This record gives sequence, C-alpha cells and structure tokens, in this order.
Amino acid sequence: MATSLRTLRFDPGEIRYGRRYVWEFPIRLSHWLTVAAVIMLFWTGLYISWPQLAPSGEPWQHFVMGYVRMIHFISGYVLLISFLIRSYWFWVGNNYARSGFPFVWKASWWADLKAQALKYLKLHRGNVHLGHNAMGGLAYTIFVIGLGWFMILTGLALYSESNPGGFWSTLVGWLIPLFGGSMQLRMWHHTVAWSFVVFAVIHIYVVMFDSGHYNNGLISSIVSGFKFWEEGDLDNDRWVS
Amino acid sequence: MPVHTRPSTYDLLRAHGVDRRSFLKFCTATAAALGLEPALVPQVVAAMENKPRLPVIWLHGLECTCCSESFIRSSHLIVADIVLNMISLDYDDTLMAAAGHQAEENRKRIMKEYPGNYILAVEGNAPTKDGGVYCTVAGETFLNILQETAAGAKAVIAWGSCASNGCVQAARPNPTGARPVHELISHKAIINVPVCPPIAEVMTGVITYLLTFDKLPQLDRFGRPSMFYGQRIHDKCYRRSFFDAGQFVEQRIHDKCYRRSFFDAGQFVEQWDDDGARKGWCLYKMGCRGPMTYNSCSTFKWNEGVSFPIGSGHPCIGCSEENFWDNGPFYQRLSSVPVPGIESTPDRVGKVLATITAVGAGAHLVSYAARKASGKNSGGGDAAAVQDSKE
Ligand code: HEM
Ligand code: HEM
Repeated sequence: MATSLRTLRFDPGEIRYGRRYVWEFPIRLSHWLTVAAVIMLFWTGLYISWPQLAPSGEPWQHFVMGYVRMIHFISGYVLLISFLIRSYWFWVGNNYARSGFPFVWKASWWADLKAQALKYLKLHRGNVHLGHNAMGGLAYTIFVIGLGWFMILTGLALYSESNPGGFWSTLVGWLIPLFGGSMQLRMWHHTVAWSFVVFAVIHIYVVMFDSGHYNNGLISSIVSGFKFWEEGDLDNDRWVS
Repeated sequence: MPVHTRPSTYDLLRAHGVDRRSFLKFCTATAAALGLEPALVPQVVAAMENKPRLPVIWLHGLECTCCSESFIRSSHLIVADIVLNMISLDYDDTLMAAAGHQAEENRKRIMKEYPGNYILAVEGNAPTKDGGVYCTVAGETFLNILQETAAGAKAVIAWGSCASNGCVQAARPNPTGARPVHELISHKAIINVPVCPPIAEVMTGVITYLLTFDKLPQLDRFGRPSMFYGQRIHDKCYRRSFFDAGQFVEQRIHDKCYRRSFFDAGQFVEQWDDDGARKGWCLYKMGCRGPMTYNSCSTFKWNEGVSFPIGSGHPCIGCSEENFWDNGPFYQRLSSVPVPGIESTPDRVGKVLATITAVGAGAHLVSYAARKASGKNSGGGDAAAVQDSKE
C-alpha cells in the first residue's frame, strides 16, 4: 500500500515520493485469471450441487448439466494454470512477488503482523508497504494459496473419478480414501468453496477501503502494476528481503 | 480322473451330476465377469480340473447373513452349487451340517491340517468394547475366534460391508465398538468385498480368481478387487470389456447408470411422485449416491439378476462405500459438515460464514464513518502515518 497523493508535501530539492513497478505482468495475469476462474467455479459448483434448469423432452436433446460441469472443469484447469504461473513467479519474480510469504521464523515478520493487526483494529493505517504487509500476506497464504490448492486438489480428485487409474487418479486419487470416501471429499470440496466468498468479501472491502480512503491508486496497481510511495514507505519493505 | 490327495473342483462337480458343458459355461461366464481375456478361459478350466479344492472357513460375526443369502441366489443357476463345491466349506455357522462341539472341532482341525493354506471368509465384524462380549460363538468372543483363525490363513476375504467397513453396527455412535476385519487383523492379505449384500457373481469371481491364479486380484485403494470396484469403460457397455484384454469390467455406478443420460441432460426427479419420477429421470437430487459409489450392482444386479435400487426407482444409498450409514440422511444430497456443534449442510455453514464476514466489514465501515464524522480519524498519508511507519 502506498501513500496518499492528496496529502503529499513537497520540499524543494528533496525527493519524497515516487512510482514503482511492483506487480509484474505474470502476477497481474494470475490475479485476474484467478478472479475469473473462481467466479465461474463458484457458480457452476453450486449449480452442479443443486441443478435447477429442468429441460423437458428427451435426454438426447439436452446437455445442460453436462455443459455446466464442462465449464466447471475448464475453469478448474484455468485456476490450476493460474496457480502454477503464480508459484513459478514466486521464485523468479521481483521481491514483491515474495512479500506475501509468511516469514514465521523472522521476528520482524511477527512485529509487522502485530502492528498491522492493531492498526486495523484502531482503524489506523498500518505501516505502508509496497509489497504485501504481514497480515495481508498471511490472508493470501491461508485463503488463496492454502484453500486454493485444497480446492484444486480435491477438485482434481473428484475429476479423476471419471477415469479411475488415469493420470489424475494416480496423482491425487489417494485423497479419496484420505477423506473417508468420495462422499466426504465432495462435502469438503463444497464446504470450502464458501471460503472464497468469505475471502472475496474481506479482500474487496479492504482494497476498496484502502484505495478510496487513502486515494493511493491501489486498485489500479493490480491492473497497471505501478504503486506510489512516499518517503519512508520503502523502509517498511526491508523486512521482506 | 487325475489322482489327487484331495479331489478337485471338477471331480466334485461330476460327482454331483454337473455335466461338462455346464461346467465350461460356468468357467467362461466367470472368466468374463473377472474381465479376463478369452484366452485365459482354459486356465480357469485347468485350475478347476486339477487344483485341489480350497479349504475355507467361513465365520459369521455381527451381521444379518444377507451375504450368504445373496450368495445362494446368483443368476447362473449352478453358480452357487459350483462354488459351494469348489471350496470345501468345512466350517460355516449357517450352512454346515455339524453342530456344537463337533463344529468347533472342525474349525480347529482345518486350522491344524492346512496351516497357511486355508482361506478365511468373514461375514460380519467383531465388536471390541468390553472385551468383545457383544458377540460370542460357542462361549468365545468372536474377536478371539477371528484373530485366532486369521493367524494361520492364507488370505482373508471380508464379505460384505460389515466385514469390510463396519456397516450399520459400526455407525455412530457405535455402541459395541464394532470394527471391520482389516482393523483387527494385521499382516494378512485381506480382500474387501463390500456391498450390502455382496453380489453373488462378485463373490464367485473372487473365489475363482484365488483358485485359478493362486494370488490376490488387483485391489483398489480401499482393498477392493478392481475388476468389480475399479475402472470405468467409456462406452458404458460392460460386455465389450470382456474382449479387451486387461480392461476390467467395473466402474462407478453413476458412470454406467442407465439413467446417466438424464443427469447429463439436466433432467432430475424433484419429488417422489412427480412427472420426472414417472419418466425415470435421474435421482441425483433425491440423494442418489451413484456418483460417489463404486460397485458392480448396476451391471450384475441382485437376486438372479432381477434388479438394483436405481432400477426400482430408489436412489443408491452407497452401500459399498465406507461409513455409508454416517454419510448423512439417505435422501439428502450432501452429507452434513461433521464438525461437532455445527453438523449442518455445507451451504448453511457457508452462508452463515459469508454473512458474518459481510457484517464484520459493514461494522468496520460504520465505525470508520463515525470516527471520520467526529474528526478522530488519522486520515490518509498524513504526518501521523509517516511517523507510525518510523516507530
Ligand atoms: C475455487 C475453486 C472451486 C470451487 C469454489 C468449486 C466449487 C464446487 C462445488 C460447490 C461443487 C459441488 C459439490 C457438490 O455439491 O457435489 C463442485 C464440484 C466439483 N468440482 Fe469444484 N470447485 C472449485 C475448484 C475445482 C477444481 C480446480 C476442479 C478440478 C478440475 C474441480 C472439480 C470439481 C468436480 C469434478 C466436481 C464434481 C462434479 C460432479 O460430480 O458432477 N473443482 N465444485
Ligand atoms: C474485483 C475484485 C478484486 C479486486 C479489485 C482486487 C484487487 C486486488 C489488489 C488491488 C491487490 C493488490 C493488493 C496489495 O497491494 O496488497 C490484489 C491482490 C490479490 N488478490 Fe485481488 N482483487 C479482486 C478479487 C480477487 C479475488 C476474487 C481473489 C481470489 C479468489 C483475489 C486474490 C488476490 C490475491 C491472491 C492477491 C495477492 C496477489 C499476489 O501476491 O499474487 N482477488 N487484489
């Protein structure tokens, strides 16, 4: 999060603000692929769970459920690809690409987490970061990375059921007995789907709040990749490296 | 007649008046059910002709005997006959001629005479609470008998859902501590043949396989023979697979369900007596477990091939799956979230969580607006914030 343009003060001869390329293209691509895929997955998933449209006539004339499932599976693959892009960029991208990682072995990470939590509760602004702050990073890690892979893996295990012994079945089919059978696996796939709604509500609220309140162009950063900083902001990212 | 110390299956069949033609038909049908390629039929025939019969001890624990009932109602008229002859069923609580002490002596004798060479077939499971007193046979706990008999067995077949995964008596809260066979016996090859009851053809197939190849069939991740609980055939015609070498017969019920086209079309029964029900539409929304159940009932059916639940208009209850009794009400599509104190449907849990989050965000916004109105908020990017960051 960068600082507000509204209140920038200028002192002659001193550079106190700037613009920096933070979110590289693969990050932004992965972000919007994820958003698109999750929206499709959630609605088609709920539909699969409780199909509504009941066409009349003979079954060979229709393929409603079949198409909805097909969209779910295609979106599932899109999500998988998006996650693979993001994981790859975690290793090769700039430092900001790694800033969301929970550095639990670093005291500075815990300090940042605490500061951030207190500031949110007191409705103060946290330390300004160009990358993710410890709390935001933790939220992304738990919700999106953790539960995201959970959805992908359980989804692929369900998907593998249509071709037992096949590629996905060999790779992730062991999840079925781990959960105590296909029925339980499905139940968890369905339950955890809701976590994305929870995340989306918080996430969208926070970015809109931040962007609106501090006027810092935060939202456009996930489109353009650029963030704005004010003197001191860059220091806050030091713990990352 | 070849000379044996013990008569072969074929010898016995002949003695029982089964002609060679019927015998060959049986071998072919069973090989087909096993998904063997036709070239392997002679191997089945040879095994039956030459190998001595398998001594089998068939124990009954906590159960309802529906496995045995199903076994003697197979669709091939002589199958039950043949199989009953194929194995020397010297001990079976419900079928043996001996009784009392004599029966128990029989069991002990087989264990002594064929150590490591007899098959232990178990119907039902063993209660483990209070020392296993909730099921006793001849004054001994079934738990002891099971473990004692398994110790010298060549392999153990767990017939039916009771023996394979607990079934009704192991359903929550499981008052007698009933546990499936594979949790009570270790270091033994165990074949699980769940389903309530197992299908006669499947039971025959498993025994024939053991006799013919003298090894365990390929098992899936739940210890079930893959040929009956395993793979899917894309053209949904199970007979074709008989001719595809190495292609096993079975798949999920759902994938070979004759109502599958209604599922793909999106045509679902909404109520028991609605129009869709009359037209034979898909039972998915009525709680059908077909999409989660691996079994071969939709191809073999029960009771001399009469029918199976979906064929009679009732959703599958998933009786070959682990813990099917605990997977929620049979007519509810998804089981409830098994977190103590919550136990609600996934959608209700999700909606509550989503609402709480939205209310939380709303509260944050309201409190922000209130502070802003009273001028207490530190505002954006001001000196305070910069200072904060330097703390
Ligand atoms: C955020 C990601 C996802 C969400 C929110 C989601 C949501 C859902 C929901 C709600 C269901 C219905 C479950 C039921 O009631 O039976 C479902 C089913 C399913 N999902 Fe997902 N899913 C996601 C990702 C995936 C992925 C990555 C795959 C992999 C290809 C996948 C494959 C499946 C399959 C195979 C089914 C069962 C469909 C059927 O039985 O017809 N899902 N999903
Ligand atoms: C229209 C809706 C959305 C907007 C406007 C939006 C905007 C943003 C912004 C501005 C950031 C950068 C935050 C920062 O600088 O710390 C971000 C990051 C992120 N967003 Fe969203 N987002 C949206 C929806 C979603 C959804 C639905 C998901 C996932 C289900 C999601 C997942 C993420 C993740 C994982 C990051 C971290 C980026 C990374 O490090 O890879 N977003 N989003």
